[in-house]
Amino acid sequence: MSEATEVAAAASSRDPAIGLAGVAALRRLLESLEELQVANARAQGWSWQQIADALSVSRQAVHKKYRRTVA
Amino acid sequence: MFERFTEKARTVVVLAQEECRQRGDQAIGTEHLLLALFRVPENLAAMVLDGFSVRRADVEADLAARWTTPPPDGAADADALAALGIDLDEVRRRVEEAFGPGALDRARTPKRRFLGGHIPFAKEAKKALELALREALALKHNYIGTEHILLGMLHGEGAAHDVLVERGVLLDVARVIVDELVRGRRAG
Repeated sequence: MSEATEVAAAASSRDPAIGLAGVAALRRLLESLEELQVANARAQGWSWQQIADALSVSRQAVHKKYRRTVA
Repeated sequence: MFERFTEKARTVVVLAQEECRQRGDQAIGTEHLLLALFRVPENLAAMVLDGFSVRRADVEADLAARWTTPPPDGAADADALAALGIDLDEVRRRVEEAFGPGALDRARTPKRRFLGGHIPFAKEAKKALELALREALALKHNYIGTEHILLGMLHGEGAAHDVLVERGVLLDVARVIVDELVRGRRAG
């Protein structure tokens, strides 16, 4: 099997172990990117409200999540 | 909720917090309570566990086996993402292009959040402590001791429950042993 077909086979797998691992990995990647981007936005002077709007979440949510890790 | 806790039971809660912090976990779980039970000298819960031949080292080994989730930036994630058509290396390359070397992996390192501060109880641990109270009431004890915490843990969800049940510590049997131990203590 070529690499491409292998990937396609895995992606369309109905095996929950594969599917859920994909979701979990995606979530971790998402969290990393979010933290990175929030930190970057803060460093560039964005307000929590602006960041929240861009992320389509409430200001409280984003502030609560990142106030400890991001200045 | 800790008013009726005995000195030893309070110590267990304090030590559970310590166990949690040492492991860098974000909330006190039943596993931390269980590990803490072994650290309080001469407590009834430890005696019950000893009766089932469950030692701290066993529990630690079982917990370690359960916590073998791959590190967030491990190869497992790269494979899982590749299955969805996402090339983690490529994502990393682009992020580093914009933010500098190691930018993505820095963000992916779990933060040790509650260092020094207040650590919350996980849902299961809170539940176990509530059930400890219920166990004490059912046994007509007017205090909550380490033995009740153990019984509370054996009720339902949580890592401690799973580890203990796999080692053959059953709620009904443990309850009988607790009852006998307490009666014996009163008699003697």
